[in-house]
Amino acid sequence: MHFNLSEERKMLKESCDRLLNDHYTQYKNHHEVSRSETGFNKKFWKECSEIGMLSALISPNFNGLGGTGEDIMIVFELIGKHLVVEPFLSSGILSITSLTNSKDIETSVLDEISSASKIYAFGHSEVDTRYDETYIKTKANYKNDAVFLTGQKSFVLNGDFADKLICTARFSGNDFDQNGFGIYEIDKTHCDIRSYNTIDGYRAAELKFSETPAKELCKNSDAYNALLETLYAGAFALSAESIGAMQVCFNMTLEYLKTREQFGKPIGSFQALQHRMVDVMIEIEQAKSAVMLAAGTYKADKDTKYKNISAAKNLVGRAGKLVAEECIQLHGGIAMTWEYNLHNYAKRLVMIDHLMGDSDHHLEKFKLYSNY
Amino acid sequence: MDFNFTQDENEFRQEIKDWLSENLSQRISNKVKKFQRLDKNDYEEFMKALSAKGWLAVNWPEEHGGTGWSNTQKHIFEEEIVKAGAPRIVPFGLNMLGPVLMEFGNEEQKKYYLPRILNCDDWWAQGYSEPGSGSDLASLKTKAIDNGDHYIVNGQKTWTTLGQFANKIFCLVKTDTDCKPQNGISFLLIDIDSPGIEVRPIITLDGEHEVNEVWLKDVKVSKENLLGEENKGWTYAKYLLTHERTGIAGVPNSKSAINHLKVIARKTYKNGKPLIQDPLFSSQIAELEIDLKAMEIFNLRAISSAESGKAPVMESSLLKIKGSIIRQKTSDLLRKAIGPQALPYISEQFDEGWNQETIGPEYAGPLAKQYFIYRKISIYGGSNEIQKNIVAKSEFRM
Repeated sequence: MHFNLSEERKMLKESCDRLLNDHYTQYKNHHEVSRSETGFNKKFWKECSEIGMLSALISPNFNGLGGTGEDIMIVFELIGKHLVVEPFLSSGILSITSLTNSKDIETSVLDEISSASKIYAFGHSEVDTRYDETYIKTKANYKNDAVFLTGQKSFVLNGDFADKLICTARFSGNDFDQNGFGIYEIDKTHCDIRSYNTIDGYRAAELKFSETPAKELCKNSDAYNALLETLYAGAFALSAESIGAMQVCFNMTLEYLKTREQFGKPIGSFQALQHRMVDVMIEIEQAKSAVMLAAGTYKADKDTKYKNISAAKNLVGRAGKLVAEECIQLHGGIAMTWEYNLHNYAKRLVMIDHLMGDSDHHLEKFKLYSNY
Repeated sequence: MDFNFTQDENEFRQEIKDWLSENLSQRISNKVKKFQRLDKNDYEEFMKALSAKGWLAVNWPEEHGGTGWSNTQKHIFEEEIVKAGAPRIVPFGLNMLGPVLMEFGNEEQKKYYLPRILNCDDWWAQGYSEPGSGSDLASLKTKAIDNGDHYIVNGQKTWTTLGQFANKIFCLVKTDTDCKPQNGISFLLIDIDSPGIEVRPIITLDGEHEVNEVWLKDVKVSKENLLGEENKGWTYAKYLLTHERTGIAGVPNSKSAINHLKVIARKTYKNGKPLIQDPLFSSQIAELEIDLKAMEIFNLRAISSAESGKAPVMESSLLKIKGSIIRQKTSDLLRKAIGPQALPYISEQFDEGWNQETIGPEYAGPLAKQYFIYRKISIYGGSNEIQKNIVAKSEFRM
């Protein structure tokens, strides 16, 4: 048993960290990037692809160089550390996982993703379906050999600038059924797109379609399995991302406690504040540990895998909120300003709990997979 | 990263299990599982069996008769003895005094005391805390006056765990008062049956006798029983407190407590359904289980970094804090799980051989009592607040 990264992975981590650091220090904050026309930097996205950050998310079975829990953890921790707005979640994890779990997918599709020549987005949530896994109201209408989608997908990350959209849609049964839905690919030129920025400085879109031609990727139990794999892959990646952001919040706060003076001494000399920092430290270590366990069991049987990811996402949701709130409080007024970068990390930490199932959702799932 | 134990480690675990099933008596493990009172013989029976096998001094190097086990092996061993329902290995001689003797004791002391600890000839007690000196240990008042070839010791020690069974006590005493408190402390090894020593029970809030006061009145202690140098006792005391403590989080104990909680929550009903299906209650268990699993990994990370030579001082403090919170929360939920069945308190139920009918299920009896006594976990061994001070001092450098 050991918890060290292999030499190869250490190198991956270092080179990615360097690239992200060089790029992101050019900006005042990530809002600057996400408010650009595309919502992210295309040239930089290409550079990420070139150093292998995208193929690190794809398994060798699909011509990638990674795809293990550890690879995903490394990449997403760095994404959290630098508040990267490029579509690692949407065109990366979510699209890759839904595609690789579909029937007869061609490796060339994944090559397009990993080489950054095509952007994919993944649309599952609808405006009022919350985190429910199979509550799908968008309709798939099969006519002869063709299928057409009608409905709306919400909060689709990078949905505005993606070339292709992968969507869930239902062709039979009730809104909540585990059967009777499929996963489809549509071309974004056929959608009505409303684009916006999110509170934490990322880009998302509302997509509407009406009798839009689609390509079936999988359906029924295959679609259900692929969807679960996708949602859990996303929850896991976000958990790792959260760890990176927590660590930055902690470091910024520690630095501030050492330099900010009141009553003639650094505020970090006050025991009331020191003790709160230790509480934050404990929860970060706890969250890290849960994410490491989820990474280590990413290829295990599904019940174990989902149980450990739900545990991680639940813990990260609770710890992330604690870190965000405490770091703001320990800073005091300065943390309330747009100018000081802490709020961006705090917002991301809290908003991660609004993506791919919050801590309550994952507590329920943890109970489910633990046979309570 | 690799979360699996090696083949050798798994075989090691099996060896421990097999040995325990042969050598830990049913009588004792039943008492432990029922939270019944253990007497001196119960502890010694198990410890002597371990000693005969060569497994008693898990933290000692082989040259002194220890196991020489890796941290991972120690962890496996701790897990298995808790699972089996063994009484705890009394740590005062083995894990506290032993390492200090090895590091700072003279040859004669080592030769005399270490084998006696190993063979269970001596039962050591810890004489650190005093009525006026808890967290601020260095302020202790027990005084040793130089009287030629011996000291005359006067004062009072407290919270002396299992002191009623001890024949020896190691004490921190003041040998110089004209200096910074830390620089005037010495470390003495004292016979408890010396004239002038009196051990008086302290009954704790659960009605039990585990801790004691030790009164010392004009006690003669030979200078041969001074450990290390005079006035250097604080260094030894700190060495003792920071000595490798990978088991500090109490992971195995919390694991078995949560399993117990889940068993009870399946047997207990609310609105006609098992309590474990109640969304409110089960969410609390689940959150705790998630926290415990994360802490188990955190603990293993600390063990594995200790294996590579890095003393996990900061981790020990964080784990002590989190471990105490989790154990207390578990005992809190155990108490809540049984509802009004937590009320009856029949002290005789905790005596060996008691076989009358319980009020409510048998498992209910000790749960409220356990909840109250487990408040101690965040107080002893350096309170959680002291642990936070230690972390802030060493990690924040402020």
